[in-house]
Amino acid sequence: MDAPIYYSRAEYIETDTGNKVSRRATIAGPQNIILGGKTIIASGAIIRGDLRRTGPGHAVVISLGRYCLIGEGCVMRPPYKTYRGNFNYYPMKIGDHVHIGNGTIVEAATIGNHVEIGKNCIIGKFTIIKDCAKIADNTVIPPNTVVPALALFAGSPGQLVEDLPESTQEMVEAHTKGFYARFQPAAAER
Amino acid sequence: MAPSVEYYCPCLAASPHPPPPHLPSSSYSFHPLHNLFFCEECDAVRCNRCVMVEVSGYYCPNCLFEVPSASVRAEKNRCARNCFLCPNCRNTLTVVPSDPPNDGLDRTSPIVSTSLGEPPFFLFCNYCRWDSAEVGITFEKPTGLAAQLQKYEDSAPEALEFDRLKEHFEPFLRASSSSSAITPSSSHHHSNPITAAASSALARDIPGVGKYNPLTRSRSGRDKGAHKTDIPDYKARVEVGSAAGLGAGGGEADAEFVRHLETVAEVATVEQRWVNSWASSLHTGDLKPLRIPLQSKKSKRCPSCRHILIKPEQKAQSVRYKIKLVAANYLPAISVSLPHARVALEMMKRSALNRSTAQPEDQNPAAAALLAGKTYSFHLSFTNPLYDPIQVRLKKAQAMPTPGSEAIGEKAKRPPFQVNLPSAAFPIAAFAEAWEYEDDEDMFGLEDDDDLDGLGRLQKDSRGKARTVGVVEKKANVTVVAGEVILTKEARGNVKFNMLVSYTYRSDDPDPTEGNETGTPSRHASNKQPEMKNFSFYTVVDLGPIVPREETRHDTDL
Repeated sequence: MDAPIYYSRAEYIETDTGNKVSRRATIAGPQNIILGGKTIIASGAIIRGDLRRTGPGHAVVISLGRYCLIGEGCVMRPPYKTYRGNFNYYPMKIGDHVHIGNGTIVEAATIGNHVEIGKNCIIGKFTIIKDCAKIADNTVIPPNTVVPALALFAGSPGQLVEDLPESTQEMVEAHTKGFYARFQPAAAER
Repeated sequence: MAPSVEYYCPCLAASPHPPPPHLPSSSYSFHPLHNLFFCEECDAVRCNRCVMVEVSGYYCPNCLFEVPSASVRAEKNRCARNCFLCPNCRNTLTVVPSDPPNDGLDRTSPIVSTSLGEPPFFLFCNYCRWDSAEVGITFEKPTGLAAQLQKYEDSAPEALEFDRLKEHFEPFLRASSSSSAITPSSSHHHSNPITAAASSALARDIPGVGKYNPLTRSRSGRDKGAHKTDIPDYKARVEVGSAAGLGAGGGEADAEFVRHLETVAEVATVEQRWVNSWASSLHTGDLKPLRIPLQSKKSKRCPSCRHILIKPEQKAQSVRYKIKLVAANYLPAISVSLPHARVALEMMKRSALNRSTAQPEDQNPAAAALLAGKTYSFHLSFTNPLYDPIQVRLKKAQAMPTPGSEAIGEKAKRPPFQVNLPSAAFPIAAFAEAWEYEDDEDMFGLEDDDDLDGLGRLQKDSRGKARTVGVVEKKANVTVVAGEVILTKEARGNVKFNMLVSYTYRSDDPDPTEGNETGTPSRHASNKQPEMKNFSFYTVVDLGPIVPREETRHDTDL
């Protein structure tokens, strides 16, 4: 059993669905951000929900699934491009059980379920990361890259290093659930 | 490094006992639990080294197109659509149009729509800014690029040469395939007809190359004679010496090129060149975009009974499996921790809490160190994946080796450390889905106050402090037991030992996915039902490196 990870109760806001969002995180445009529940956003993270698609109506900019972790100092920024002469932002969709390490910058279009992204990575614009993939620490994934399912990418530019074992899904799920369970307010402040 | 437990797969050794854990070569026999498979038929652990792997489907890792196996060979195992690798940095290339305001500034935002663009199109690397216009490759339309590049590929000297070789050996191959079918048992897998034919041709054409013939002793001279008579001499399209003239590298031209180099970047690196099947030009400017090699989904079989252990779903990007017999569903998962390191860590964290939340990865090595000459207890936590309770018995493997470092090997006759494990069997409760749904937070803080089964055996160490070897904690399907390790004063290296784990389980439903009979209690070993079965496996426990005393003092000073 791993030791609990304590945080000070004053720092984190807990929602009804169990999301824990640090007050020190910068959440721009919260009305455009969806958190699936039991997702943790650590201090210093920046989530740019304000970079929405132009045009009328409600737009979801960033959606996160359940049991995700946005590490300290991460930047989550929707990708943009100029299509038919119009500059526009595009939504970013992230699945369940996705952990993103500290200091990583994400501009991906889609991240699947059970994905682990290491520390200090750069995930380029419109990257597509499929289920159960893993990005090692300090990896640079250039724009428009596709990371297939069950692949470990590392290096700069990120390249396939090896295939991950068949039981990756269970392992990542256990890890993310365990992390959420261990992430609890410090006993002294209870 | 954190303490770890790895599981033994006996596929590399003849004996069922694992090799001594301190040898570097032993690491090939031990694997993390999640990398192992379990064959129900053989009742044995299988690893990635011993399973038989079959390709169950091909796909392109970039466009994720599932390539039918019929066309894989025709397309030379590479994506035949629009996927290319940068020859410079191996990033995937993007198709970009040459738009009217092509003043160089536009290139800085290459993600322009292809529908707006005007021909010619070219391939552009987002990472290193290489583009195919540099090497004179442009396209009239942005689709079907591989087909448009086909003419370059087909006219390459190596492709022509290979086609010619194939053509040359084709009649022989056809003739011999029928004859070798008569004696299939004698055919070694190295000795298929094409290998034999190629080797005899090589031996003839290149002086000094011995003819490769694994069958010299086993086969009669009749076959050897047949090789010689049937195959006419192969005339290469390009003579060895003249290849340099085709820009294929080598010779005086390269020497001249290198002599007049201005920057190193003009020379293509070995990584950029060595995927080619043909000696290629040294010039960076001659690098061509590469079609992306296909990836495959694999199914895995047990090497002895050929039952399928892993069978993926057909869809390339699905992570589900039709059959998945992984060891984690059969063997108890073991994790090891050092309580003294955790206590030290907790202290650090509490003091650092007012800053921010500390991450578990930031472990201070000094706090978790094992000092030579001291005694430490360690906790092994066992998680039962079965739907029935099991009884586990631990035993340290015999023949405790001395560590590999020769300095110690001479001096110390006795082993550098001694391990005490709980000798009595201990139970682990069954796994139940319900525990998954219990509120995680309540689960966590819960200390199971059940009596510790009387298995705990109190010991006094040198400082008179009580230590326990035995069951420490039981909750849900997890049981934690404590052992202890006594380090000698001159101990060096890693504390690493083999541990035999035996467990008893109900054999009537060995498949945990079938039965959910948690209601039937068979908790005690005294329950002598004939259906109890036993399974043993070896593990290696690595508690981490031993720190000699002087060094630690130095470390903690820092």
